[in-house]
Amino acid sequence: MSQALREFLLKKAKLEKIFNWGVRWSLWPVHLVTSCCGVEVAHTSGPGFDAERWGVLPFHTMRQSNVILVEGTITRKMAKVLKMVYEQMPEPKFVLAMGACAVRGGLFWNSYHVVQVDTVVPVDVYIAGCPPTPEAVVRAFIMLHNKIKGKPGPFIEPSKVDLTPYLPPPPKPAAPRPAPQQTAQPASG
Amino acid sequence: MSAKTPPKCPPEGDHLLLAKIKQAIGPAYLAHGVTPEGHLCVMVQADKIREVASAVKSMGFDHVLSLSAIDYMAEKKFVVTYIFASYLSPELKGQLLHVRTEIPRDNPKIASIADIFPSADYEERECHEMFGIWFEGNTHMGKRFLLDPDCCIDEKTGKPLYPLRKDFKVPDWGLMG
Ligand code: SF4
Repeated sequence: MSQALREFLLKKAKLEKIFNWGVRWSLWPVHLVTSCCGVEVAHTSGPGFDAERWGVLPFHTMRQSNVILVEGTITRKMAKVLKMVYEQMPEPKFVLAMGACAVRGGLFWNSYHVVQVDTVVPVDVYIAGCPPTPEAVVRAFIMLHNKIKGKPGPFIEPSKVDLTPYLPPPPKPAAPRPAPQQTAQPASG
Repeated sequence: MSAKTPPKCPPEGDHLLLAKIKQAIGPAYLAHGVTPEGHLCVMVQADKIREVASAVKSMGFDHVLSLSAIDYMAEKKFVVTYIFASYLSPELKGQLLHVRTEIPRDNPKIASIADIFPSADYEERECHEMFGIWFEGNTHMGKRFLLDPDCCIDEKTGKPLYPLRKDFKVPDWGLMG
C-alpha cells in the first residue's frame, strides 16, 4: 500500500509541493513580544480575526515552531535573544518583522540601543504600521503562504485604473526659492 | 552671545506644604517654586540630600516616584530631580514633592538614598548608567543594569559612555537616513 502511495505521489505530484502545502498550513509563530505590537497579535489570533483559519497557531516554545513574529522594538540586548531563538528553531523557518520599530527603528530611529531586525536575522515579510492592524498581520501571513508556494509578491495588486480625468489638476510647481545664505557655523556643536 | 540661563526650579508661588517643608529640611533649603501642575518644587544643597530624604520620609512621603537628572552642559552641571509621593498619608494624597539639587558635571557624585527609600535603588542604577552620576553608598554603581554590556563603550579607551548626556553621539547602526 505504501509502495503504491509512494509511486502515486512521485508520479502525480512533486513531493516538494506536498511538503510546501504542509508547511503552508501549519505556520506556528513564536511570540517575541518586545513592545506594544504584541497586543495586536493577541487580537489577530482571537476569535474576531481568527488567524487559525490560515493555520497560524501561536505557540510558546521555539523548538516546536517555525515562524518568529518579531513584535516591535528590538533592543541590542533583545537582539541576542532573537538570534538565539532563531538558531534554535527547526528548518524551515520564517521571520516576520512587525511594526515600524522592527522594520526601520520606528520612533526610536535615533536611539542608542535599538537595532533593525534584518541586521540580525533574515526577514521574509515586513508588516508596516504603528501598530499594524490585525488585518495587516493576516495579510502578511497570506503573503508568506504565497512565498512558500513560490509566488512571492505584493498581496494587493496596484490599481490599473487611470483616475487622472477625475482628479483636480496638479498644482503648478512653485518658483525655485533662493539658496539659503551660508553663514559661519559655530565651532563647537 | 550670552546663553539665557534656564531656571532650575519653576517660578515661585505659594503652596500649602511650603511652611512644613521649610521647617522639616531646615538649612538645606535654597529656593522653591510651584510647577504648572501645582506641585511644590524645592532646591536643596547637594551634600545634605540624605538629611532631606529622612526629613521628607518623616513627613509621610513613603516612596520615590521618579529620580532623574538634567544635563546642563553649557553650565557644567547636572540637576538631579527626586520626586516623592505618598500612598498612605491621606493629607498628602495627590501631592508630589519635587526635590532638586545641583552637582558639578566633571565630578558627578551624590549620596545614595536607597537605604532610606528602597524604591530609589533601581532609579539610581538607571540614572548612573544613563548619566554617569555616581551615587555613593549604592552597591551597584559601576555595573551595567539596563544597557547591553557591549554598547555605549568608547572604542579607544574602553570606558563606558553615558547615552543621555548631551555630548553623546548616537552611533550609526544603519537606522538613520
Ligand atoms: S511599531 Fe508602534 S506599536 Fe509597534 S512596537 Fe513600535 S511603537 Fe509600538
